[in-house]
Amino acid sequence: MLLFRSEEWIDKWCQRNNLERGEVLTIHQVWELSKLWYQDRLSLDYHGRSTEKVAEIFKKIGLKSKFWYIQK
Amino acid sequence: MLSNDSLLWQIRHFVYNHFADTTLPPSVDETAAYFNISTEEAGDYYRELHNHHAFFLKPDTLTIRMANPFSGIPTDFKVYVNGKTYYANCAWDMLGIPALLQCDAVMDAKFTESNESVQLEIKNGQINSNVTLSDSEGSLPRQTETLRSRRTLPQSDMLLVHFPLPFSHWYDDLTFT
Repeated sequence: MLLFRSEEWIDKWCQRNNLERGEVLTIHQVWELSKLWYQDRLSLDYHGRSTEKVAEIFKKIGLKSKFWYIQK
Repeated sequence: MLSNDSLLWQIRHFVYNHFADTTLPPSVDETAAYFNISTEEAGDYYRELHNHHAFFLKPDTLTIRMANPFSGIPTDFKVYVNGKTYYANCAWDMLGIPALLQCDAVMDAKFTESNESVQLEIKNGQINSNVTLSDSEGSLPRQTETLRSRRTLPQSDMLLVHFPLPFSHWYDDLTFT
């Protein structure tokens, strides 16, 4: 996941690399996602997470499109 | 399948805490010594944890390349915390390090394509919107760093992170992702 200054630069990068555009989140959304995603990673009890838990995290951030679909 | 599931997750825990403490992953020999097991056995646990996506080994080695958000090699995403410098795997992981360590951080990164350097800060759980841009590294000699033009973005909302692949394909090629 790469950092861009604007939508325009994302389009340029996609075009140059012949890639389809994915999803774009603001840095604030990514910070909120990071807190939910990584806050328990140093715990001995962390053994990965279920697809249900991943879906719950995405939902909390408002990531509901097909792009974020979790295969169960 | 390894016999000791408890040890498997203790090793995962050890690897993450080693990264947090030292900024680097432990070698398989260090892990073997810490748990008083053979290097071969530690290697089997490393491979098992790799298969669990708990961390990721460099292809055909027992060297840890990524334990997200930590990177085992230098990248364009630097995170400064409590006098230590960590490397993150991507823009998301750059924010993942202060989230994981639950502390303030200063981060140096590069904008993709426009190639400007950018500095961000996490303070008291918030992203500091006073983002500083400077000319890309290498455009000026190191000794003239203080002369680099520095300017501030009007709003941190202009900072965007592009997720190129849908979640269902994140683990197909993690280095690309």
